[in-house]
Amino acid sequence: MKFLTFSEDNQLLAQMITFLRSRGEVDAATSSDRDMPIEYGAGVVYALRGNAQYDSISAALKNLFESSGYDAVVIASTVLGREVAGHLSVGIGSDVAPELSSLEFKDGKAITKRWGYGGKTVIEETWNARVFTLLPGITDAEKNGSESTLKDIQLGDSRVEIISEEPKNLGGGNLESAKIIVSVGRGLGKKEGIEVAQKLADAVGGEIAGSRPVCLDYQWLSEDRQVGLSGKKVKPKVYIALGISGQIQHIAGMRGSKIVIAINKDKSAPIFEESDYGIVGDLYQVAPKLTEKLAA
Amino acid sequence: MVDIIVLVKQMHDLEQIKPDPSTGEPMLEKSPFKMETISENAVEAAVQLKEKYGGKVTALLFGNSDAGQIMKKAYAMGCDDGYVITEYTGNNHFYTSQVLAEKIKTIKHDLILLGNQSADSVTGMLAGRLSAILGEPVLGNAVSIEIEGEDAKIKRVLEKNNYYVKTHLPAIISVTQEINEPRLPPVMRIMQAGRKPINSEKTTVQEIKNFTVVSNKAPISERKKLIFEDVDKGIEEVVKVIKEEMR
Ligand SMILES: Cc1cc2nc3c(=O)[nH]c(=O)nc-3n(C[C@H](O)[C@H](O)[C@H](O)COP(=O)(O)OP(=O)(O)OC[C@H]3O[C@@H](n4cnc5c(N)ncnc54)[C@H](O)[C@@H]3O)c2cc1C
Ligand SMILES: Nc1ncnc2c1ncn2[C@@H]1O[C@H](COP(=O)(O)O)[C@@H](O)[C@H]1O
Repeated sequence: MKFLTFSEDNQLLAQMITFLRSRGEVDAATSSDRDMPIEYGAGVVYALRGNAQYDSISAALKNLFESSGYDAVVIASTVLGREVAGHLSVGIGSDVAPELSSLEFKDGKAITKRWGYGGKTVIEETWNARVFTLLPGITDAEKNGSESTLKDIQLGDSRVEIISEEPKNLGGGNLESAKIIVSVGRGLGKKEGIEVAQKLADAVGGEIAGSRPVCLDYQWLSEDRQVGLSGKKVKPKVYIALGISGQIQHIAGMRGSKIVIAINKDKSAPIFEESDYGIVGDLYQVAPKLTEKLAA
Repeated sequence: MVDIIVLVKQMHDLEQIKPDPSTGEPMLEKSPFKMETISENAVEAAVQLKEKYGGKVTALLFGNSDAGQIMKKAYAMGCDDGYVITEYTGNNHFYTSQVLAEKIKTIKHDLILLGNQSADSVTGMLAGRLSAILGEPVLGNAVSIEIEGEDAKIKRVLEKNNYYVKTHLPAIISVTQEINEPRLPPVMRIMQAGRKPINSEKTTVQEIKNFTVVSNKAPISERKKLIFEDVDKGIEEVVKVIKEEMR
């Protein structure tokens, strides 16, 4: 197999090169020039220059695909990545196997896994497709002592024009590699409640994370700390859920945790079905006591 | 004036899907259909744009026999017209995009609105595929939309940065769940919507299916589920567990 892999995020690209290099030959394309992933085993790393929008990127990948004999294009599942994958799939007359957490090839078919029904099920499928999108964190990026050739490609025009850019205030925590995560939900009730959770996280040397409403709607935490189907997929040794109801889209992000502990005042909250240990109670009473005992 | 097509998907009520205890497969018969969550945000966004700029909103749904009630909800929320394409065979974005595109080509429009990733299948493939099939640009992952003359402008939310981007109409815009809070239509409107006829038709596009499902089951939860209602006892146990893992 000969793969072409793309992401606008070079950390994700390094993961995908690492993942694909044991499955065949890999070249990579990126539209970012920070931390070029040239030490992970890609033959060529193409630097896409210009207005990098889904349409201009798709056109460049289509050119490479058709001129260089790749078998498959593997794209990191991000907002831009999904747009590129959909557009490119029409251009090269293929289907897209999307949002994969597992991808193997056998006898010319792809064998895949992804979530079904918003995270309720795991769907195992075989695909006749040339385009794939992989979930972030498919594997840890590992250098392999090789060095890729860098080539520049000038992108063509895009029909999307950037008016302005607004950098986000990201927390920068590394949830994917955290050993203990203290995760908060809407049950926190107010922004000041974060302090209670932070103290608990500090006492156990853990990272703080949150459900989607906490990170996106209320912005009590930065967006990159969201755990779930549309957020980070985490696998700590201990995941402590404070005031999280346990909707399936949240569970889809923390199912890989070794031990799950939930604190919720509602005895029938679905999070208890996904917990090893549960305490039925007010997080404002339980969490400080836990902090005190753990710090001791 | 903007004429808008909004794409509305139906899905099983995810909260009511339970796995069959013996097979682990979802028992779909027991979970009624409802409007897919992000489609609802797309409908709300379309109706708000109509209220601001004038024009007409047409809902388009590729679904099955239960689609009528979902289309009625779209009417009640403010859609002026709607088409149901029947004989949906389930999630297959390759085919769905071809079926929807075929119908879209027959409807005059300035904008196509849809969800960024549907709440049940979460593929997010439709915007890009429709863009390539129809030759219309996408403004993706919008949390706000404005129309300025011949242009659409959105605030686009990406993982690391947000952008304001624009393009010429006609265009496709995908919306996020955060763009709005979908309205609950008043009873009067629901009753009016109930009387409004639904245009229902079959597609002429032949289904192509590029995948085979090997299995589709709930992952087995092996959690201990030790739940303490006695808070102090619970704390004692949990502290022990955490200390053990911290070592
Ligand atoms: C397409 C899609 C993608 C999504 N992706 C994600 C995702 O990635 N991540 C995610 O988290 N969600 C996601 N969601 C949203 C998800 O469906 C839920 O809405 C969300 O997870 C609920 O967050 P929550 O548990 O914080 O809030 P709620 O469901 O409101 O739960 C709050 C809980 O706090 C408890 N509580 C209240 N007060 C206290 C107190 N004082 N002490 C203890 N407990 C208390 C309540 O009993 C309740 O159980 C997604 C939804 C869709 C449609
Ligand atoms: N069968 C369908 N009929 C109408 N619109 C759909 C259909 N499937 C998906 N959509 C639209 O496409 C969006 C994204 O869905 P998906 O590509 O499945 O993630 C949804 O939120 C809907 O707006």
